[in-house]
Amino acid sequence: MSLVINKNFDEEKNVWDVTLKGEVDIYTANKLKETLIDMVSEKPQDILIDASSLEYIDSTGLGVLIGALKRLKQHDKDIYIRETKINVRKIFNITGLDKIFKLEG
Amino acid sequence: MDAIKNQILDNEGASEIDVISMTIPSRPEYVGVIRLTVSAIANRIGFNIEDIEDIKVAVAEACTNAIQHSYNDESNFYVAFEIGIDSLGVIVRDDGKGIKVEDVKEPQLGELKEGGLGIFIIKSLMDEVSFSCEIEKGTEIKMVKFLHENY
Repeated sequence: MSLVINKNFDEEKNVWDVTLKGEVDIYTANKLKETLIDMVSEKPQDILIDASSLEYIDSTGLGVLIGALKRLKQHDKDIYIRETKINVRKIFNITGLDKIFKLEG
Repeated sequence: MDAIKNQILDNEGASEIDVISMTIPSRPEYVGVIRLTVSAIANRIGFNIEDIEDIKVAVAEACTNAIQHSYNDESNFYVAFEIGIDSLGVIVRDDGKGIKVEDVKEPQLGELKEGGLGIFIIKSLMDEVSFSCEIEKGTEIKMVKFLHENY
């Protein structure tokens, strides 16, 4: 299983909508990293991640999200992560990153 | 201890611990294979879904470390699964550069560091975790999860 990333800039709300489907691990993290860096360079706006189909994330994936958040914070923007599955949520909770990212739903 | 051993031996003549060993190329695409392998083994022992998920994440973190510490993608790393009656031990060893165990710190909340989360996740999810490491000789992480009866 791999990772499918869909991104779209919502001109009306001025936010990035991103859907992550599959797994973010050492194999797929680079793809996510490149996508997020491109997005932030293109338009440094809030990023809304739909994680309802994100089956798995590990420390390399968290590292990529932290890197992107650092870039966004320079522009006073945030990363919102929606509808995480229980197992994904647990990784955010035990690492304390649930307090760093805006987790919703 | 012997009494327990004899009891186990009497039980279908099975030995106390079965061991499965694997040698894996140090490349990212193989971490998914180990995740599936360890899930199947944990399921075989009788762990519930939540525990299987914990074990899967912890073992994948250790494999990720092994790959990141390897010299190149021609290297291998080694995983051994110790299948007990009520426990699963997993040993992940690489012969890479090695890390200083004392350098591994707990991540500080709010510090926003990209690295160092893996070891912390392993410690959080498994019942017993130990590291041994020698510079230039590689790293070995051993972790154990016990099957708890109060499901």
